[in-house]
Amino acid sequence: MSLVNYATREITCKIVYYGPGRSGKTTNLHYIYGQVPDDRKGKMVSLATQTDRTLFFDFLPLDLGTISGFTTRFQLYTVPGQVYYQTTRKLVLQGADGVVFVADSQAHQLAENIESLQDLHANLAEQGVDARSVPLVLQYNKQDLPRDFILGAADLSDALNFRGVPEFAADALHGPGVFETLRAISELVLKRLSAGTAPAAVSRAPAMAR
Amino acid sequence: MNIATVESWIEAPLKRYVDEVHAHLALLLHPSGQVLAQAGFTREVDVMSACALAAAVYATAGELGRHVEGRAFGGLHYAGPQKQLFLAPVATSRGTFVCLTVFDDASSLGLVRLYFAELCRDLADAAPPLAARTAAPSFMNFEADLNRNLAALFGRDEVM
Repeated sequence: MSLVNYATREITCKIVYYGPGRSGKTTNLHYIYGQVPDDRKGKMVSLATQTDRTLFFDFLPLDLGTISGFTTRFQLYTVPGQVYYQTTRKLVLQGADGVVFVADSQAHQLAENIESLQDLHANLAEQGVDARSVPLVLQYNKQDLPRDFILGAADLSDALNFRGVPEFAADALHGPGVFETLRAISELVLKRLSAGTAPAAVSRAPAMAR
Repeated sequence: MNIATVESWIEAPLKRYVDEVHAHLALLLHPSGQVLAQAGFTREVDVMSACALAAAVYATAGELGRHVEGRAFGGLHYAGPQKQLFLAPVATSRGTFVCLTVFDDASSLGLVRLYFAELCRDLADAAPPLAARTAAPSFMNFEADLNRNLAALFGRDEVM
């Protein structure tokens, strides 16, 4: 659910990075966090286990600057990928304005990718959300690994991208594809908001003080 | 205390509440983690983090309640050495929100719960009915703005 304040011309949107365990969702946020100047990001919050696996979520508030006269902020979340964290995935997904699905390009992870994508659609449906209406971008991560171990972007596209959404090959650890993915999901979310089809809390109230 | 609200009808009831319970901090948020009002915070990023964490605590406590008691817990209290927090839902005609209150020895859980019930009534009374959807923000040719800002954020020269 986007929060739109017309009086102060501010918009806040929630983006969720979804995907199977160890696909690189947290790595995406870490890379973004490392690239963005301090004055344009908030503190990154990670609720992780002692072995640094995401337990609940990672959270990164990001100031995108002024877009069409609106101060635009994105709140980036990840979900825990492991199958047994189903409940927490549902909780984090609540109110998402857009979803980035981070697939693991390793060939032996294909079944996990498909299962996780099905899980995403099931969880959206359970919340009464038509998955086809939610802005979605696919990212095929770990494309830097040796060719023998991974599937190419075309193969992953055949297997996962049945909706024909924007898709990007990526190496989230070193950066390629991370920026492009964020740009694509930002564009889809703002387009949907502009079209008036996105759920939003709309306010004409005075400023939310800093 | 500094109070800021996204929706103006929240301000008076929240101000009364934080004054009565001598709250250090208070947050009213949507269960998805979006902030609707805050009192006592000094930096916006702290508000955002607090909202994300409060939404998480509320959601997990709710699920835990459903598992062990068959329904979500009505509220959550945590007592630290110096500060305490109280987290509970507020039902209004605009939907259910979550209120986080941080207080210390100048107050008590009983007092907070007493005035929280009053806050719930005040907000329910003050909430205007959901208006028909207003016009969506008009993003005309926003791609250029978006590309420029993202390129600046990521320290890139080229605009994609």
